[in-house]
Amino acid sequence: MVAFTVDQIRSLMDKVTNVRNMSVIAHVDHGKSTLTDSLVQRAGIISAAKAGEARFTDTRKDEQERGITIKSTAISLFSEMSDDDVKDIKQKTDGNAFLINLIDSPGHVDFSSEVTAALRVTDGALVVVDTVEGVCVQTETVLRQSLAERIKPVVVINKVDRALLELQVSKEDLYQSFSRTVESVNVIISTYADEVLGDVQVYPQRGTVAFGSGLHGWAFTVRQFANRYSKKFGVDREKMMDRLWGDSYFNPKTKKWTNKERDADGKPLERAFNMFVLDPIFRLFAAIMNFKKEEIPVLLEKLEINLKGDEKELEGKNLLKVVMRKFLPAADALLEMIILHLPSPVTAQNYRAEQLYEGPSDDPACIAIKNCDPKSDLMLYVSKMVPTSDKGRFYAFGRVFAGTVKSGQKVRIQGPNFIPGKKEDLFIKAIQRAVLMMGRFVEPIDDCPAGNIIGLVGIDQFLLKTGTLTTFEGAHNMKVMKFSVSPVVQVAVEVKNANDLPKLVEGLKRLSKSDPCVLVSMSESGEHIVAGTGELHLEICLQDLENDHAGIPLKISPPVVAYRETVEGESSQTALSKSPNKHNRIYLKAQPIDEEVSLAIEGGKINPRDDFKARARIMADEFGWDVTDARKIWCFGPDGNGPNLVVDQTKAVQYLNEIKDSVVAAFQWATKEGPIFGEQMRSVRVNILDVTLHADAIHRGGGQIIPTMRRATYAGFLLAEPKIQEPVFLVEIQCPEQAIGGIYSVLNKKRGQVVSEEQRPGTPLFTVKAYLPINESFGFTGELRQATGGQAFPQMVFDHWATLGTDPLDPSTKAGEIVLAARKRQGMKEEVPGWQEYYDKL
Amino acid sequence: MLYFIGLGLSYETDITVRGLNAIKQCSRVYLEHYTSILMTASLEELEEFYGKKVTLADRELVESGAEELLRDADKEDVAFLVVGDVFGATTHTDLVLRAKQRNIPVEVIHNASVMNAVGSCGLQLYNFGQTISMVFFTDSWRPDSWYDKIWENRKIGLHTLVLLDIKVKEQSIENMARGRLIYEPPRYMSIAQCCEQLLEIEETRGTEAYTPDTPCVAISRLGSASQTFKAGTIKELAEYDSGEPLHSLVILGRQTHELEIEYLLEFCDDREKFKQDVASDQEYFKPPAWVPPPEDED
Repeated sequence: MVAFTVDQIRSLMDKVTNVRNMSVIAHVDHGKSTLTDSLVQRAGIISAAKAGEARFTDTRKDEQERGITIKSTAISLFSEMSDDDVKDIKQKTDGNAFLINLIDSPGHVDFSSEVTAALRVTDGALVVVDTVEGVCVQTETVLRQSLAERIKPVVVINKVDRALLELQVSKEDLYQSFSRTVESVNVIISTYADEVLGDVQVYPQRGTVAFGSGLHGWAFTVRQFANRYSKKFGVDREKMMDRLWGDSYFNPKTKKWTNKERDADGKPLERAFNMFVLDPIFRLFAAIMNFKKEEIPVLLEKLEINLKGDEKELEGKNLLKVVMRKFLPAADALLEMIILHLPSPVTAQNYRAEQLYEGPSDDPACIAIKNCDPKSDLMLYVSKMVPTSDKGRFYAFGRVFAGTVKSGQKVRIQGPNFIPGKKEDLFIKAIQRAVLMMGRFVEPIDDCPAGNIIGLVGIDQFLLKTGTLTTFEGAHNMKVMKFSVSPVVQVAVEVKNANDLPKLVEGLKRLSKSDPCVLVSMSESGEHIVAGTGELHLEICLQDLENDHAGIPLKISPPVVAYRETVEGESSQTALSKSPNKHNRIYLKAQPIDEEVSLAIEGGKINPRDDFKARARIMADEFGWDVTDARKIWCFGPDGNGPNLVVDQTKAVQYLNEIKDSVVAAFQWATKEGPIFGEQMRSVRVNILDVTLHADAIHRGGGQIIPTMRRATYAGFLLAEPKIQEPVFLVEIQCPEQAIGGIYSVLNKKRGQVVSEEQRPGTPLFTVKAYLPINESFGFTGELRQATGGQAFPQMVFDHWATLGTDPLDPSTKAGEIVLAARKRQGMKEEVPGWQEYYDKL
Repeated sequence: MLYFIGLGLSYETDITVRGLNAIKQCSRVYLEHYTSILMTASLEELEEFYGKKVTLADRELVESGAEELLRDADKEDVAFLVVGDVFGATTHTDLVLRAKQRNIPVEVIHNASVMNAVGSCGLQLYNFGQTISMVFFTDSWRPDSWYDKIWENRKIGLHTLVLLDIKVKEQSIENMARGRLIYEPPRYMSIAQCCEQLLEIEETRGTEAYTPDTPCVAISRLGSASQTFKAGTIKELAEYDSGEPLHSLVILGRQTHELEIEYLLEFCDDREKFKQDVASDQEYFKPPAWVPPPEDED
């Protein structure tokens, strides 16, 4: 039975104030998809019986098999609220019917680019946290990501049933555990929150935290209980909510509320939350799980729970599920929290617009986004591509931020490299069809107004991975997404059968399209390289490639990690290179960039597309750069946005701006393939000190300048204490105490460094955090499992680049070994060329 | 001995007698093949005429492979042939310097170049200012520093010789950056394209170094049997089909002698109009009329 029709949804789309776009985000295995099921169940697409096991949003076969989410999946839900609840909504609304566009995202760190893509198109996030495990590394990552995108969080503390059934905690212990979790979430929120969002910390007493069990299908907020009791006590609901959380106690003798934990006689009082909220739940659990047959009907009657015929026959866990689901339906609590506390697109776009749009904040496109105006020109951001049942074709999945997208409409398709006024990375094509995406199904619709999430058919060939669609000719791009993970693990793929090569090439194209973060490239030696964020990500990608995108048997090399080439000092002398015709000369020096600046560039805080004056201000104020230098940054590299810079320090050189283009082009290539072993450069700043140029433009074209700038950069680089950097994972392992010894021995063997070891309060679990070079991480999970009898399961997330202290040019050192091996593998000359190779004498 | 020998403009027989004699005694002969091309003679015809094997020297060989060029030049004779005059293109001074560093004796044998043969259009060589080159614009590279030079020339009334870009054997930017020796097909700029680029930059600069109505002379295949001249305004020449390469253009200065104009009238479609165009163009950069200095009172 479908509880809503497409027409109903479509009409709701027009009432944007009643739309909520939200993502479900969490650490892996904290129960996002399971919790999502209880919401889907309310919208009536799957039967109540299967909720909790079906994992409706895990649409792929491997997702169901592995029990993890790999791709984010969107569904639209329909919900109606009571008048009483609607009154509590602190933003503009229109009627009682609400449309919720929900995106369930993967929790495994390897797939966090999917989370980024999901967050971009939503305004609110339901953060799921496991009661027992608490806030984990990925909880922090996704929270940080959502706050950076100005997305408002609400929290649900999940798997409360585990605390009750497995750990058998007391009421006060459970309260303390809840309280600690809420606090740790709030610490993260206050660290990363954007001022524009205001106070986005979560408070149980305000109804922005829910507690429950996705598996059993129940959940509650303090607000719901306050509702029940406010009638009984004749107290205002708001007041009641405050009383039901924190240091608030009720004295049953005097019938008085107090904030002291002892009464006048010094006897301890029970906390109101424990007494009014947890007590009925604990009693139900105790009665049902201990098979106290006589107590159960009394309790049920008191709580106004009516069981149907055959449900009365159930007992134990099954009965518990049914009872709890009737007592505190998860969907009610979650829907209430989502609708009441998450912003509508109208509310959210008002403060998100300037951050979403690359152009000036007073141009028509930005204003339309700000107002979420369905009648203006179209502004739509495609955040990912979703494979269709038609092999090789994709739905472009995204959000309409302004205007209305229609089937058959002609739009400008602007890729990430589009520059306003130019024709590169721009197509003008018609959208064949707009579709509503609902888990495993899609429903075609005619059009879709601003504020809604949509799938588009027929434009996939014109988009690489993401892009901006618009009908406004002067529109800038919507900001490109920054991913918190980077593809640092790579393999080379080959076909087993030479005839299959074209299929592989085509398959790689499709693979690249289907995943926001996978990187497909061809090496100098002609190998096809697939790079992913981690072993699991790569495994899934290759499996997709082999079975789906290419559909041919493949040979896959052992994984290798991507390195970076960097410098630690300033060039010991000025590097000089002459152009082939010797009439043009470039003098430069290389020097390192502070790690903070590199991180700011990689994190998008210092952005090549920002206004150079504003950027220079930030660099001077926050990173201690000289303002003149900061204003004279010619380019970022590689790919125009990497953490390497060219700074013009020349004085009064004629025609200098005519060679800028060639210098920039050369720097892109030089930083993309460094001189040590062809890896990208990182944190290298090149100061151009002086330039001599031929008087006639024909003798200083790209042919003269590009090779010269590249050589000069290499010479300057090699003169500045070159080093290599390797990527390092932050590993988080939760395990019982006896497994710790095993963890340490495996970490030691793999050059791991323990950062912290803490016991999680109230549980026998320990959390070990360590840095682990990614190069050593292959097979780490397996070895760890072996050394700890399967009790330790690691979460690994890329953390930072670590510079290897040894000289990469000396093959007897660790760094030199890595370089030599890589050069051999790539068929390069074994010895790294010296700086003299790129240097020209005066 | 390393001989630098100018080949002249067009025919294999344009070479000087001294040049030809020098070639005959050389053990290796290179023909520089990227700053200009010899219009009417193919490599085979040259080889036959000289009775020697001739190696084509592309930019790669001259600029980066000078070792090979200069090999044993101190012991035997090597000829380096340049279309036009040896130093017409400034690029080869570097080769001379390198030869001198190696103590290789150098002898230069001159020939005609566009720099002097341009006189055949009727404009006097005395009245020419700085020569400029017009390069092929790309989407992102549109150098316009030559505009200032035209302005400077025109300010003092001089003609400007514009050499048009040729790309005989060039790499694409990507191949260049990667150091791959893959070349694009040859391209030669036409008069029309040159004039369009002139107009584009005048439009963006807007300081009237010249106008769409400034008179010019288009010179095609100078020194060959099919050499042609065409006089007209920049606007008119932007639609002129100039035929086979090579081409050059002269932008007229204010100081145009009457004889010069008379000569140019042979090459234009509408004599009256051209005369008028020249007259009205001379209004630009006209020095202020001479005012006698005020006489001292006492």
